Amino acid sequence: MIYSLLSVKRNQEELNDLLNQLKGISGGSLSSVSYATITAVVSEINGNHLIADQSNAVEYARIIEALAQQFTLLPMRFGSMMETNDAITKMMERNCLEIQQNLQKVDNKVEYGLKIFCDSGKLREKIKASYELNTQSSIKTTSQIINSIYRDYVDKKLAEHRLEDLLLTFVDSVIAGITGSLNRLKAICKFRKMITETTIIDAVFLLDKKNERSLVHLIDDFKNQFNELDFVLTGPWPPYNFVETTIK
Amino acid sequence: MIEDKILYNTGSLDEFSEEIEKLTNSEDSRLKLTPKNADSGLAKLVLTLVELIRKLVEKQAMRRVDGGSLTDEEIERLGETLMNLELKMEELKEHFHLTDRDLNINLGPLGDLM
Repeated sequence: MIYSLLSVKRNQEELNDLLNQLKGISGGSLSSVSYATITAVVSEINGNHLIADQSNAVEYARIIEALAQQFTLLPMRFGSMMETNDAITKMMERNCLEIQQNLQKVDNKVEYGLKIFCDSGKLREKIKASYELNTQSSIKTTSQIINSIYRDYVDKKLAEHRLEDLLLTFVDSVIAGITGSLNRLKAICKFRKMITETTIIDAVFLLDKKNERSLVHLIDDFKNQFNELDFVLTGPWPPYNFVETTIK
Repeated sequence: MIEDKILYNTGSLDEFSEEIEKLTNSEDSRLKLTPKNADSGLAKLVLTLVELIRKLVEKQAMRRVDGGSLTDEEIERLGETLMNLELKMEELKEHFHLTDRDLNINLGPLGDLM
């Protein structure tokens, strides 16, 4: 089983010491397999049988986390297995350039996660009120044909549609603000929006660990700007969302 | 592990846990097709696609209404069509004992379908 691909450079002894202190899934010993400047951290799984349950997944993440404290790495997906060390070496040989480029991209950087929540009903009401105040008009259109249930139905749907558009515009403005501020920290950002009714933004950032305090301050500033939203910032994490290698 | 990783949090931890649970626990929204429930599983799949298309049609129609390119008569006819489509969809959901939640399949890393 492969845990991660590392850039060890001249710290092979340091890696060996760390691997001796850690245990792999099911208590197996961890070892390293190297090709050029890349090293894979691996352990044996008896009979190629891995139980894909929560405790093993958490254990897997803990090992990657411990390695990430000292080395630049690319985390492998849980359950990445190859039959022999030789097969792992050949895989690294085939993908050497791509792996090295990815390692360079995440060198000395860590990932942070930001989730932004809201009370969906309250936020919609606030956006609607603000729109109606600014435009001095209702979000609903007025029916031209009196006593038409069909026209009323379209009006209702149109109001919902306009509110959705306003909500998306609001979310985009929050994202633009965060992206603009994070440019100062030279962060790479990825955003997903409107994940659920209440989770309006799910973002991940890749940046230098030394910028952690600046990031926290920046998010605090945003909280002051958007009091109706709740922010949860987590990290540092290994760069789970910034590995763009498809293993051949 | 997650508790040690929270750097900044303005909500309650319980609410945060609930949200994470919602994002990761997709049991209800999975399509569970087995030899015994093939009929209802297939109905859920088909109705999910029908509902997705219906919502896309509705969205496109609202864009046209909002754009102001339709006459009052066209809007009237559109309203009647969309309303009937919604009512028919409600009937089908009731017939197959499905709810709106059932028709929102979780697409894993892509999030919910609707």
